[in-house]
Formats: sequence, structure tokens, C-alpha cells
Amino acid sequence: MTHPPVILHIVDDTTPGGVMRVLDHLASCPLIGQTARHICQSVPRGRALPGVQADIIVSHLSVSWRSLPGLISFRARHAGTPLIHVEHSYTEAFTALNVPSRARFYTLLRTAYALFDRVVAVSGAQADWLLARALVRKASLRTIRSCVNLDTFRALPRQTGHPNRFGAIGRLDHQKGFDLLVAAFKAVPDVSLRLDIFGDGPDLSSLQTQAAGDARIRFRGHTTSPEAAIGSVDAILMPSRWEAFGLVALEARAAGIPQALAKVDGLQEQIHDGTLAVSGHTIAEWSDAIQHLAKTPPHPDIANSCATAEQVFANAWASLIEELRPQKVMQVA
Amino acid sequence: MPKASIVVPAFNSTQTLPETLASLSAQSFDDFEIVVIDDGSTDETAQIAEDHAGRDPRIRVVRQPNRGLAGARNSGIAAANGEIIGFCDSDDLWHPSKLATHMDHFDTAPQVGLSYSGSVLIDEHSIQTGHTQSPRLQNITAAHVFKRNPIGNGSAPMFRRAALRALAWCPKHEMQRDWVFDETFRQSEDIECWLRFALKTDWQIQGVSGLLTSYRLNAQGLSANIARQLETWERMVAKLRPLSPEFFKRHESAARAYQLRYLARRAVHSQDADTARNLVRRSMQISRAPLIEEPMKTLTTWAAAQALARFGDVSFRNAQSALLSLKPKQS
Repeated sequence: MTHPPVILHIVDDTTPGGVMRVLDHLASCPLIGQTARHICQSVPRGRALPGVQADIIVSHLSVSWRSLPGLISFRARHAGTPLIHVEHSYTEAFTALNVPSRARFYTLLRTAYALFDRVVAVSGAQADWLLARALVRKASLRTIRSCVNLDTFRALPRQTGHPNRFGAIGRLDHQKGFDLLVAAFKAVPDVSLRLDIFGDGPDLSSLQTQAAGDARIRFRGHTTSPEAAIGSVDAILMPSRWEAFGLVALEARAAGIPQALAKVDGLQEQIHDGTLAVSGHTIAEWSDAIQHLAKTPPHPDIANSCATAEQVFANAWASLIEELRPQKVMQVA
Repeated sequence: MPKASIVVPAFNSTQTLPETLASLSAQSFDDFEIVVIDDGSTDETAQIAEDHAGRDPRIRVVRQPNRGLAGARNSGIAAANGEIIGFCDSDDLWHPSKLATHMDHFDTAPQVGLSYSGSVLIDEHSIQTGHTQSPRLQNITAAHVFKRNPIGNGSAPMFRRAALRALAWCPKHEMQRDWVFDETFRQSEDIECWLRFALKTDWQIQGVSGLLTSYRLNAQGLSANIARQLETWERMVAKLRPLSPEFFKRHESAARAYQLRYLARRAVHSQDADTARNLVRRSMQISRAPLIEEPMKTLTTWAAAQALARFGDVSFRNAQSALLSLKPKQS
């Protein structure tokens, strides 16, 4: 065995959140480090991509018409290097809610994805959508569900009583559906319940206005420790309007915490024992879900479904790298 | 397995069901089944359907206790075997080429999940009223669906099964099958479903040319229904708003103005001058969008409401028939 291949991950959105935590995990996980050296480089959004050197390059860039010329040029300048794109953003529910002109959007995605040797979906639901809309050829598509080191979540003390402290974690913007959550929580009469919302974002003041008068709802700001946030509540609520994967659901599951998840995109496949699927985005359904969780003790096996998540993640990356790694070919005269 | 299924929800429709089923049996595309859902009829509806099934083996009859139109359609979807599923209410008619046209459309446009056509309006004697629903067919967005409902009536669209699946859910009290249409709605169940389809799935919505459905307007009780129609429309908005508050913020006023204008036109047709005038005024107060986007239709609605109020229904009817006689007759 020669030196391990160098895998360079480039990212243009370094806002603290799921994507950056997955990248940190890739660069620091010893299991992954056994087969390759993963390094991250952030690049400024909207400017020309730099030339880089690595055995394989992995894009975590956001795809748009504006960034497309840059991607084409980047591909041309790295013609001999295998390129992978990990799609963290786009999903069926994203498209349904945000893209009026779908044919044009699909043309963009097909064009952009065709520049890469492989496209990685971060959930099975996203992969199904990429195939159903013929955005990626099946031979080029791989599914690797996102992951981080879950040990600190597994180590959190388990609650056994009925949940009464509810938590919601994420950026305070339209995508996460916390406006719906606040309305649904306010409609639940039980005064013993609490809702802690962790995160920051453009909707903070409108959410605060919406929650005004209900002392049960608290805004706890952005947290640098998801473990502490998850450890401080008994149940997690994720009414996201779209969600390519949904890292918080995985972390809460590792902590053995019950959850209610919107049945969209990548969240719908994180519904296991002890998690509640909420099919619609109506206030009544979410109020019902909160009340249902509040009278149900946590299922003892919530964490089972993610017992080997890090290993599965490491293996998937190792095999993807193996199939793309430039092979030394014997030249026959 | 048949390629297509046509679901016919039927409740006490002995008068119209034979003609409806005859129009479906006469489709030029023949690989389909008809699923008649007898929705707890108290008359001979089920027997009539069974008689037709005796003559056309593609017809199946399913009986259930009354659940309403949405409930009958949901049962029909659950019983349907086709990959393409459409609906024809038991008083509407399909043009012989309708199914063939939609099947062609689905074959050539894999991204289309909902295909619809325009409609001609017929009266209780199946005579064309001279009015049509001739909607926009291409580049349909959720905003179009919300404001102008190009899909139109419940007998106009056909769906891919996979697209309906993306829309289905199971309420916790439901023990039998999924819901696609919301059975808590007794009116506005169509537009609620079409708009939810546009906001929740990324399947494309596209129309085919031709007026391929005959949609029967019921002359009775139109006006009495107007207040209730507005109320259920508002309930639909309140239900779907949390799905995308931004979308509703952007389009709600215009959509409400269009809805009021639509109801004003119905009030004009049922000669209810006060209601018509009131609805037109409210429509114009809420949003200028109908006036800017469709000035002719908005102004004629306004003028018709004023004329009806001023000159009464006799001279108005004369004027209306004079105007209609100027229009080219539709075949």
C-alpha cells in the first residue's frame, strides 16, 4: 500500500450547521482516516474556483445558474481528477415549494451534475428523486447518508418519563417550519410543557412576536454544542418543509430521544421505533403530535437504528474512493 | 391490469349516470377500467351502474356508506388498478378522445404528473350553455393554480398513480385506506387537492388542448351556495397556509380577488344582483391583480353586475342572449 489518497472537499457555505459538521467529521474520523486523508477547503461563493491538487475532489458547493460557468471551468482545469458532488440542498419538497419553473431548474441540475464522475445523495429519498427526475444517471449516483461522531449523543443520560421539555434545533428560517411549530405549540393547552428553540436566523424576531404571551416558549439562541441542546430536552420536533437529510434527527435518535418528524425528503426515512411521522404541515397535526409525544414514554430502542452509523458512513466513503481512485495501469507497448 | 382507471363517484344520480357511463364506455382508447363508487345512494344509482357493468365488463361497482365526493374519490383511487387515474363525476361527460389524449400526453411527457383539459359547460338537459373553461395549458405554477385554477373541475384532470401516492396521507382515525382528497371538505375539495399537489410535489402540471370534458352546471341553489363556497375557500387557505406562509403572503390577496370575481360571475348567472355587486366590489377592494392581469373579464363582470342591479333580470337576460348569439356556435 502506498500513501493514502488525498481527498479534497471544497465548500462555499461555511455557515455553522449540518454540512460543516459532516465535513469536520470526514476530516477527523479515525475510521475514515484509515483509507484516505480528507481535507477541507472553503472557497468564496460567487468567485472563480481556485485550481487545487488532490487525488479526488469532492464538491459541497451550491449549484446555481450563477455558479455553473465556474463549475464548468473547474471541471476543465481538473480534467484528469475524479470529481464528486455531494448534494446537500436540493430535494423534491424544496423544488415543490421554491421552484416555479421546474423544467429550467432540472436543466441546470442535469448540466451541473453531468460535470461530475459521481453524485452523492445524502438520503435514499433524495436519491430516488434524482433518479425519478432523470437528473443523474443511475451508474453515477451513490447514496451516503450524512453522519457525525455520535458518541457524545449516545453518552447522554436517558430519560424515562413522559416528555414535557420539547426542543427544536436549526436555523431560524422558513425551511425549518418553526413558525408552524410555534402556532401548533400555542394551541396545546398543557401548561406543564416547554418548547426551547435553539438557533439563529432571519426569522428570529417574527418568531418571537408570534410566541409573545406564551411563557412556555423560549428562544435559546445558536448553540455550539448540539449535545448540550439535545441533552436539555426530552423530545425533538422537526417540522421542516424540506430536508435533504436532517442531521438533528440522527443525533436525537443516537441520544435515545423521541421525535416528531415531518414526512418529507430525507426525514421520512429516519422514522424508526420511537419516532413519530407527521404527514402534513397543518397546525392541527403538529398539535396532535406534540400531545401524543407528551403522553408517551420514550421507546427503549430508539438508538438501535443508528448503532453503526459511523461505520456505515466510513465504509461508503471508502468504497466510493476505491472505485474512483486513479489506478496505476501497466502500459503495454 | 388496465393502463388507466376512471373513477366515477356517484350519489343519487340516476338521471345523469347512464349518459356519463355511456360517454366513458365510448372512449377511443380502450385499455381502461371504470370504477363506480356508489356513495351510499338511496335510489337506483347502484342498480343502474350494475346494469352498465353487465354490458361493459370494464365497469366495476364498489358500494360504500356515504362519505361525500372526496371520500368516494379516495375509495376509487384505492380500488383503481391503472397507472393513470382520472375522475368523472356522475353528472359530467367525457369527449370520446379525452382518455386517448391524456394517455398520449403522459407517454410523451414523463415529468407530467397531472394532465388536464378544458371543458364545455352543459345544463341539466346536456345542452351546451355556450360557456367554456379554456384554461392556460403550459408553464403552470402553484400561483396559477391558486389564482386561476386552470385544472378547473373535478372531471378534468388525470393523474399518474405515483403522483397521487406522493399526495396521499392517512389520518389517524382512518382505518380503511389513504386520503388524497381531504374528506373534511364538502366544497373546495378540488382546488384544495390541486393546490396541495402543486405545493407538495414536484410533478409538473400541464394541460392538453381541446375541450374534452362536459361539465354540468347545476342551476339550482347556486346563489345560496356562494357564502358557503367562500367560507370553504377560506378554510382551504387557512389549512394550506402553514405549508408555505411566504407563498400565501405573496399570492393570497390576488387569489381571493379572483375567487370573489368568480363567485360574482356565478351570482350574475343566478340573477342575484345584490350579491354580485357586493362580490365585485369586495374583489376590487382586495386586489387590483384581476383588473391588471385580465382587464376584459374583470370589467365585463363588473358591468354585468351593475347592469343586472340597474335594469333587472329581464332586460339583462335579453342583453345576455343577444350577446351570446353573437358568439360563434360551438360544435
